Amino acid sequence: MSRAVTPQRKAFNTALAWLIGLLIFFPILWTVLTSFKTEAQAIADPPIWFNFNWTLENYFTVQERSNYFRHFWNSVVISVGSTVIGVAIAVPAAWAMAFVPGKQTKNLLMWMLSTKMLPPVGVLVPIYLIFRSVGLLDTKLGLVIVLTLINLPIIVWMLYTYFREIPVDILEAARMDGASLRNEVIYVLLPMAVPGIASTLLLNIILAWNEAFWTLNLTAAKAAPLTAFIASYSSPEGLFYAKLSAASTMAIAPILIMGWFSQKQLVRGLTFGAVK
Amino acid sequence: MGRITLDQVTKSFGAVEVIPPLNLTIDEGEFVVFVGPSGCGKSTLLRLIAGLEDVSSGEIRIDREVATHLPPAKRGLAMVFQSYALYPHMSVRKNIAFPLKMAGMDKAEQDKRVDYAAGVLNLTDYLDRRPGQLSGGQRQRVAIGRAIVREPAAFLFDEPLSNLDAALRVGMRLEISELHERLKTTMIYVTHDQVEAMTMADKIVVLHAGVIEQVGSPLELYHTPRNKFVAGFIGSPKMNILEGPVAAQHNASAIGVRPEHLASSAESGTWEGRVGVSEHLGSDTFFHVHDTGLAETITVRASGEMPLRHGDRIFLTPDPDKIHRFDAEGLRMP
Amino acid sequence: MATQHSRTAARLMISPSVLLLLCWMIVPLAMTVYFSTLRYNLLMPGSNPFVGWENYQYFLTDPAFLTALVNTLLLVGGVLIITVIGGILLGMLLDQPMWGQGIVRILVIAPFFVMPTVSALVWKNMFMNPVNGLFAYLAEFLGLQPFDFLSQAPLLSIIGIVSWQWLPFATLILLTAMQSLDQEQLEAAEMDGAGAFSRFIYIVLPHLSRAVTVVILIQTIFLLSVFAEILVTTNGGPGNASTNLTYLVYAESLLRFDVGTGSAGGVVAIVLANIVAIFLMRMIGKNLDA
Repeated sequence: MSRAVTPQRKAFNTALAWLIGLLIFFPILWTVLTSFKTEAQAIADPPIWFNFNWTLENYFTVQERSNYFRHFWNSVVISVGSTVIGVAIAVPAAWAMAFVPGKQTKNLLMWMLSTKMLPPVGVLVPIYLIFRSVGLLDTKLGLVIVLTLINLPIIVWMLYTYFREIPVDILEAARMDGASLRNEVIYVLLPMAVPGIASTLLLNIILAWNEAFWTLNLTAAKAAPLTAFIASYSSPEGLFYAKLSAASTMAIAPILIMGWFSQKQLVRGLTFGAVK
Repeated sequence: MGRITLDQVTKSFGAVEVIPPLNLTIDEGEFVVFVGPSGCGKSTLLRLIAGLEDVSSGEIRIDREVATHLPPAKRGLAMVFQSYALYPHMSVRKNIAFPLKMAGMDKAEQDKRVDYAAGVLNLTDYLDRRPGQLSGGQRQRVAIGRAIVREPAAFLFDEPLSNLDAALRVGMRLEISELHERLKTTMIYVTHDQVEAMTMADKIVVLHAGVIEQVGSPLELYHTPRNKFVAGFIGSPKMNILEGPVAAQHNASAIGVRPEHLASSAESGTWEGRVGVSEHLGSDTFFHVHDTGLAETITVRASGEMPLRHGDRIFLTPDPDKIHRFDAEGLRMP
Repeated sequence: MATQHSRTAARLMISPSVLLLLCWMIVPLAMTVYFSTLRYNLLMPGSNPFVGWENYQYFLTDPAFLTALVNTLLLVGGVLIITVIGGILLGMLLDQPMWGQGIVRILVIAPFFVMPTVSALVWKNMFMNPVNGLFAYLAEFLGLQPFDFLSQAPLLSIIGIVSWQWLPFATLILLTAMQSLDQEQLEAAEMDGAGAFSRFIYIVLPHLSRAVTVVILIQTIFLLSVFAEILVTTNGGPGNASTNLTYLVYAESLLRFDVGTGSAGGVVAIVLANIVAIFLMRMIGKNLDA
């Protein structure tokens, strides 16, 4: 147990931590504040902090001019779709590796992780050409396929580490109780793994939502998710700070909130249970 | 129902043979205990019978039917695990009903059987709780309840009491024995604790390094251990094994005398030594005797009133009818 | 430890994942290798003759390659150093008793959830812009010349942006690892006469080694393929000053439509990533076993 510290020491810690925390958070805060300003106020010299006329105008403009919600919906379909399909494929694999480990299991897991090391740019050209010839360029389906595959190793790993914490005795008890393999998974494994599966879903939706290599390279206007949509603000619209801020705020808000809820599982999940 | 036969059964993990060819018959209604030190293969043997592991060769028959390659679900056996292995997300009622549900039994019959089992095991008030809200003893009873509702051909127990504290363990031991009296179903019980084996078993199977050292009733094992291993393993405190000249006097390579078969005296006796540590249990006192010239330590059971202290001289006299003789291979001599 | 039956089932259940990943690895990889030996430009349709090593020769002798290689290493190394050291310091601070620890944690972790294109654009326009950016105001306020970050120090600016995105991740993991350190170990060390500094060197750091390994592994995977941040801030420029390997290959293939050279670059990137990967896998293999 940590010992009591002097109030002065605690006050100093608090002040320093809050200062650093606010500095790190500041760009996000500033973006949110700016999104409620007029364009003129957004570039005012000196900068205006809170004392401005709060307006929602930028949000409406972003939606009207560029059909924000279509891109939002693309992001939802792509991130949720790829994650759910990935989990459906990964659950059986993770079950097998966690509960029927063989000599090759560890190598297999390492190999899966190593596919993540494959730089995406190394296969960009063929994927681009394949997609072009089968008509998957700029489609949600195409991105769902790619993101499912690139996140599959992480999903398998995460589920594997969660499943491993379920005592194998309980599954054997189900087997003794007459459960078929299917019933063993449906009635015993899955209900016990709900928290693990939930955080796997959450984390991979976050990763897929923010993925910005394939989404930028394989989409144009039609299927572009928010990552690609925001990139279109690169220039010259990016100089309209208030609108850029409004679009950015809308793009990050849902995932930021999900992220805050998942921060406990984030560490376990992304370190494959190596750090708890 | 409930006769189990193992015929030339072996088990290897890779190149390591953990169970060399083994034969064993368990009769219907018997309470059989597999006992041995940890790593002796007793749990593996149980898992082979359960079907949770494949045999490497040989045959397992349950009620004359060959079960060697049947999956666990089809063998008609029920198992109680060391960790209880209750389903944490189900209520006690659902836990107990799970095997019935898997068997496709209709709901009314399920409820009837669960209620009966809960009555037998004093769980009626807890049926709607989750396992996490129960004490260790209650969880143990739920695990047993889950096993008995199926009316299996045999019960398999894998060290079921080792997670309970000492007081509860004695109580559960009696409950399981009573359950056996009541159900008359074959039970196979694995433990490393020879006290559990002695108190519960109709028949004890002593295992050591995958090999059956001896099969017999508790008293047979106690009175006529087949070799030095069984002699040392059964009985508490352990039998004193003496070698050298004193064994030669009895024409043996080693002799064994149980602590309770040595008379102790402060004045005179066959062997002389010095008292080391003494353990007072009230009714009895165990003296650890040194400097006898026979073995490093000889343990002796004396009455609780024996007034000897650390460093005192003590004289020991073995009961000549209760001396066990062993040959050079460690086997019992007639 | 299981039966033949369950092993068969296991093999069946693993196979979809394995087959999919195998296809995902092998098919495009084989195509990349094949294209890298062709003269193949999307702007010049027609036959694509076999040219052997020509594309490799072209790619590897292009001065842009060496620049991109150095930039990649600087980017990965720079961000790793900043985030690991910053993460340890910040983790230690957040591990101290204070008021509102939960809220500070939430503030610190937030940048990790911001998508790369947003963070790059926000930093580029609202902070680093030499006319209207906040840094320009700050410089003016302090009486300094505004500094045009992205044209005068493009790589450093990108390292800064990427570090801002990854510092939360390192901090959170290292903080979690610190909180799992047994306090009695520290107290025992104190009883043994170790001062605060010795306790940090001999107890805290070794305890963190596993977490640091994990941070390095995971960040390296992502940092080797930093792309969006470069695309929306500098487009790799000025010149090639902020071009990394990923961006260079992208430029060859999808900007200049030179599939042959782009593929050769892709193969080079894969080979280099594998060298890093072998080194990393050996490291985690050792560290994760324990």
